[in-house]
Amino acid sequence: MADRVPLVRVENAVKYFPAGLGASVKAVDGVSFEIYTGETLGLVGESGCGKSTLGRLITQLHPATSGNIFFEGIDLTKLSGEKLRQHRRQLQMIFQDPYSSLNPRMTVGDIIAEPLENFGMLRGKAKDKRVQELLKVVGLNPYFNNRYPHEFSGGQRQRIGIARALALRPKLIVCDEPISALDVSIQAQILNLMQDLRNEFNLTYLFVAHDLSVVRHISDRVAVMYLGKIVEIADSVEIYRNPRHPYTKALLSSIPIPDPDIQAQRRVVSLAGEIPSPVNPPSGCRFHTRCPIARAPGICSETEPPLEEKGREHRAACHFSAEVPAAV
Amino acid sequence: MAAPILQVKDLKTQFFTDDGVVKAVNGVSFDLYPGETLGIVGESGCGKSVTALSILRLVQEPGRIVNGQILFKGDDLLELSNEEMRELRGKDIAMIFQDPLSSLNPVLKVGFQVEEAMFAHDRVNKKNALSRAIELLKQVRIPAASSRVKDYPHQFSGGMRQRVMIAMGLANKPSILIADEPTTALDVTVQAQILELLRDLNRDTRTAIIMITHNMGVVAGLCQRVIVMYAGQIVEEGPVHQIFHNPQHPYTWSLLRSIPRLDSDRHDRLLSIEGLPPDLISPPRGCKFNPRCQFRIDRCLREDPPLLDVGPDQRAACWVTMDRALKHKEPAVGG
Repeated sequence: MADRVPLVRVENAVKYFPAGLGASVKAVDGVSFEIYTGETLGLVGESGCGKSTLGRLITQLHPATSGNIFFEGIDLTKLSGEKLRQHRRQLQMIFQDPYSSLNPRMTVGDIIAEPLENFGMLRGKAKDKRVQELLKVVGLNPYFNNRYPHEFSGGQRQRIGIARALALRPKLIVCDEPISALDVSIQAQILNLMQDLRNEFNLTYLFVAHDLSVVRHISDRVAVMYLGKIVEIADSVEIYRNPRHPYTKALLSSIPIPDPDIQAQRRVVSLAGEIPSPVNPPSGCRFHTRCPIARAPGICSETEPPLEEKGREHRAACHFSAEVPAAV
Repeated sequence: MAAPILQVKDLKTQFFTDDGVVKAVNGVSFDLYPGETLGIVGESGCGKSVTALSILRLVQEPGRIVNGQILFKGDDLLELSNEEMRELRGKDIAMIFQDPLSSLNPVLKVGFQVEEAMFAHDRVNKKNALSRAIELLKQVRIPAASSRVKDYPHQFSGGMRQRVMIAMGLANKPSILIADEPTTALDVTVQAQILELLRDLNRDTRTAIIMITHNMGVVAGLCQRVIVMYAGQIVEEGPVHQIFHNPQHPYTWSLLRSIPRLDSDRHDRLLSIEGLPPDLISPPRGCKFNPRCQFRIDRCLREDPPLLDVGPDQRAACWVTMDRALKHKEPAVGG
């Protein structure tokens, strides 16, 4: 379990993308949280909620519009060039699509060795040895290093992507939907591998995904995003048993459980309407237009609720969190 | 029980590619009863979608149905002329697809496309068609249906487009609706709405639904009966309760243990099915699942097991079956 040293601290991170005519897409709009050393923090939400953008802010693949991102106490948003590059080797990413994230013209060995070369870490035989070791670690034949990505299945390619992410012995890996492109029977293989690697190499994960059952399975804590904001963050057992935000509650109730008896008893909390545009998010609480318990017009449409303590290590952004019924 | 409305008998659909013959559907037989909801589950390439396309004779070159019968109310659809088949498609058996955006014409109004589905089969006048289109859009719970008939597909969200597709599917009151991964491209909260809609439509209109999906949770919530496919064959079938609580085929059993469940608090390792699904050009001898099966016996390598009765209305294609397997062997969780 995690010891409570924050590896990453995000303070009021904001990322706007220009959308023409002076408008902007408010992809991430004022988000603060920590990722503790050794934990897996899950980040869930539906398409367009800003979860992938937030992952990319932490690895500095996108520069933040404003706010601070501290990694081991150092503000990455203040760094640039070589200094940023040196810190970045501690931060790696695994991507969703194992097809487009590997260069088809490079051998697997070269793909995995590239980060080692970028940082001038190892040369010649030592480098080859490290590549073979990494292939073995992710469960691939070490003698596959001369093959090309197209010779591998989706699950095997995702293993190659993981080996590449491990090459520099990073502290944090941002995993952006790492299993959603894979078949069901292959997903378990990759999830198990990721859990083993975390234990073996003391990794910290930010696990970004839309599937709350997968996120809950692998994460110690879970953060739920809606329209660029974190609406709730808590321990993964607590968030399921005792959601304090109506959006979390709706999300939980929507996920089908593979058990017909349980499914027959569950009731879906239907949300009215559609996710509003992140160009022009609703006033007050962003969820008020679809919320089953909102007071609108009223406090919910006027005042934005802060993300505040609702229990031990449990924060939610809702004016009426006491009214959210416990999960079925 | 009433007579089946659809009987698929020993269906074989193959794709004649440059690399060889892909046996995508290899001897599939099942019955569908009026008003029931039947799930067909399996991973990509297991043949579930090709089975659905074969029923409507929509398999494209180089694919061909090479064997079998598809009896709809007693008539073999494979014997019908192209003209007769066109008359039946969308009228008696309708289908909706995974991606509602590419299934709708972007330059035609949504209302027109729903009307078009009616004109294809019925002599309805324009005015009646419009009011029926609005009624259908209301039935699939599209808000402000009477003004939205004049909108174009791009003005609808993904979930609303899928509702439009369902409305088109229902336009001629079909007796069977085939839904091929209808919620896979949608967000979970929207998926829940569409599933609820399908459940209500099945209850209110008694349209039988064949739900094709890779998601066991979707089947658990919607279907009465389920067929599990692997490598072009049915490996297990039965009432949903039996399949989920007492699966007898090792593939079904393993699949259910390999998916994280929302209601599980433990972070235990998932059971992982080692290896990959087989190549359907040269599948393994014997049981197609045997290279990945931790319970296999020698016979599995030699003989392909037929579907055998393993419980009430439940059949599995396995020489071992889970009841016997678990008596003899502690299952491995795998890496």
